[in-house]
Amino acid sequence: MKHFKLFKSSLIALALASSTASYAESIAITNATVHTVTEQGVLENATVVFENGKVTAINPETISADTIIDAEGKILTPGLIGSMNQLGLVEVSAVSRSRDASDKKADITFDASLAFNPRSTVVSHSRKGGITSNVVSPRGGEDMFKGQTFVADLSGEFDSIRVNNNSVLIDLGAKSEGSRALSLQNLQFKLEDAVKAQEKKGTKNKKEAKEPSREEQVINALLAGDKALVAHADRATDLLALLKIKQQFGLDLVFVGAADAVLIADKIAQAKVTVVMNALDNLPTSFDTLHSSLKNAAKLTNAGVKVALSVSGDTHKLYELRFHAGNAIANGLSADDALAAVTANVAQAFNLDSGTIAVGKTADLVLWSADPFELSTQVSQMWINGEEYSTISRQDALRDRYTTSSDMPRSYVK
Amino acid sequence: MQKFLPSLVSAALAVALTGCLQSEQQNERVVIKKNPYPSTYKVLPLQTTLIKNATVLTGTGSRLDNADVLMVDGKINQIGTDLVAEGAVEIDANGKWITPGIIDVHSHLGVYPSPSVESHADGNEMTSPNTSEVWAEHSVWPQDPGFEAAREGGITTLQILPGSANLFGGRGVTLRNVPSHTMQGMKFPDAPYGLKMACGENPKRVYGSRKVLPSTRMGNMAGYRMAWADATEYKRAWEKYDADYDAGKNPLAPERDIELDTLKGVLDGDILIHNHCYKAEEMAMMIDLGKEFNYHSGTFHHAVEAYKIADMLAENGNCAAMWPDWWGFKMEAYDMVHENVAIVDAMKNSCAVVHSDSDSTIQRLNQEAGKVMYRANENGFEVTPELAITWITSNAAKSLGLADETGSLENGKKADVVIWNQNPFSVYAQAEQVFVDGAKVYDRFDEKYQAKSDFLLGQR
Repeated sequence: MKHFKLFKSSLIALALASSTASYAESIAITNATVHTVTEQGVLENATVVFENGKVTAINPETISADTIIDAEGKILTPGLIGSMNQLGLVEVSAVSRSRDASDKKADITFDASLAFNPRSTVVSHSRKGGITSNVVSPRGGEDMFKGQTFVADLSGEFDSIRVNNNSVLIDLGAKSEGSRALSLQNLQFKLEDAVKAQEKKGTKNKKEAKEPSREEQVINALLAGDKALVAHADRATDLLALLKIKQQFGLDLVFVGAADAVLIADKIAQAKVTVVMNALDNLPTSFDTLHSSLKNAAKLTNAGVKVALSVSGDTHKLYELRFHAGNAIANGLSADDALAAVTANVAQAFNLDSGTIAVGKTADLVLWSADPFELSTQVSQMWINGEEYSTISRQDALRDRYTTSSDMPRSYVK
Repeated sequence: MQKFLPSLVSAALAVALTGCLQSEQQNERVVIKKNPYPSTYKVLPLQTTLIKNATVLTGTGSRLDNADVLMVDGKINQIGTDLVAEGAVEIDANGKWITPGIIDVHSHLGVYPSPSVESHADGNEMTSPNTSEVWAEHSVWPQDPGFEAAREGGITTLQILPGSANLFGGRGVTLRNVPSHTMQGMKFPDAPYGLKMACGENPKRVYGSRKVLPSTRMGNMAGYRMAWADATEYKRAWEKYDADYDAGKNPLAPERDIELDTLKGVLDGDILIHNHCYKAEEMAMMIDLGKEFNYHSGTFHHAVEAYKIADMLAENGNCAAMWPDWWGFKMEAYDMVHENVAIVDAMKNSCAVVHSDSDSTIQRLNQEAGKVMYRANENGFEVTPELAITWITSNAAKSLGLADETGSLENGKKADVVIWNQNPFSVYAQAEQVFVDGAKVYDRFDEKYQAKSDFLLGQR
């Protein structure tokens, strides 16, 4: 028999309103199976203590904390990290006035973090997937540079932006008009020109040296390795061209998509370039992606490439990231590598202070009812910056409204 | 299925039967062929096959543990324990799960294939709000590599629909998921046609931007009603023609209209409605629209708000084909709940279906159904695997008018079978062997049974 649960409206309203933890409290999670995603590996019956947003101790000799939570052996992982989506920039994709991820005029300086809306219903929904932070990527405009990424946590609070302008996005590869060659050439020229300008500046006295433009400053940051160049490209020739550019200019490079990466995995591993990919992409959707396969995450990882998984394409389904990881495991990736691909590897590619459970790291933590990647598992509890947040979202309120018996119209059920 | 006689034979029969009443010389009777592009599908080489010791989800709501399934001559012959079949190929499926072949009622494989180049965008004739005259089967590219990928996910039957830009998008076609170099070679023999209709945002956006009807939801409704009124006249004209002819007269046949043929097919009960419709209030009106013009409103596709009218859908015998979690891509998809399918299913006489509308998730409909099951059970439902499997097998077959042929493991039904490496509702589940009409069409561990599209052959 099937039955409906009775509705607890006040509880949901409360959960939707705010986080449930009080600020600056110290918390100890004991008796957990802790997946540190560091060299320490998995710690059984372990304790993790955190306070003021940071992990302060792992397996301390004596446990002292305001709150002690017995995990009863459940799995504790770093919070998962989303990337390459428009979280907080788009509420409804087809509603133009709810979209801020792109602008025709956007260029390399485009900082979409100014438009981030932490109250978006997509943020609370994404917490259902144990996502605690996210690398937001604008779609940009007509320029090949799509702007810069920023990092937000999923607390839903107004101060949830952690870093802005932390990497530079560029779209390369197949074009519906024109030639891909021109984009690669332009990238090469811009970098060469910036190097020349720097050299020139070195020879001139300070009076004559002109202040670099905002655009030039971003290019200079790329050359200095202060920002990563995050390049969307798929075909092997494009990836090889980028590796060459990386070598010539000493760039910090990240690949996104990279369907052909399996053809040149050794070179990518050698160059230490992280590949951000969608584990479920496996169709030859274009002539650039003939080598897409469900096995690619495993193949790349086994070849020594750092892989980060991303639910590319649809921000509203960001919560599914852990299921993508599960599918990658079903297709040959180890469970440990899969967890790294949704935590530590994303953090490493984008220089984030999260993604592992280690002393001093941001206390973004998720306690799971069972195997984090399995469809039947759910988030038991989660913490962002050391504060506990609920996974309840607008969808739960709608479900309960329509599964509650009432002799009044549904609008009265709140 | 009804068999359609060639027009000459039926004309001769009509003359013979009414010969004595004949008062004037009758011209040859005009008969509209109902199946002019018939299936040429042939079952692949098959052997009697006995699968032993599996967990079997029958698709009829039952789960059998340590059960055997015997397939003979393309049909399910027997399900039980300790079965013996002389000469049968035996498969030890200890620890594995068996389900009916998975059915997707909403796919655009072949009409929006991979690679998705401009030359392949054949899925939606976006030139008029009513294109009932187009048939998706005429756009199917059978070399779409997506068919292979779907087969690896256990898909044995799928309906290919036109897109949703138009009020009437045209006819859908149901295919067997077997490799062939022609559409007819994949066509499900004698399956009813579907008619794609679309509510809501898409038609009013596409045509409103061209300043033609519809530009509003009331324009959508007006467009359907005008078309059904025309179809009703057309049907009457043909009925009068047939009656006059039967009465020995020599009537002039109505002028043939390919567009109205399809709508008349719906009014005659031969073609099933498949209606892209997200919102509760729109589905409620589409049900009434069917009643106004005497046809059944069929299956609602996407139906993101089906949970708001679950009782109404069950009372009116409508299937709803849904996603577990797609939302937010447009306004009419904003009110998603993860338990939508389970809420629709919980009604008596319901018909809840999980569909893909995607060349990616069609490969994992088992996981799509699983997500619903687990989320629903976290919120007070008690959905079992034997129930959840019906959303992608028997209920889907019902939606396509094929419940008597496929969608469940019952004696005499088509032996469309998937062997899974474990509980299919796990993220780690994979189809190991897939059978269509008792013939093996896919084997994860045997390259001989791994088909490859012409397109991918020789690429490096």
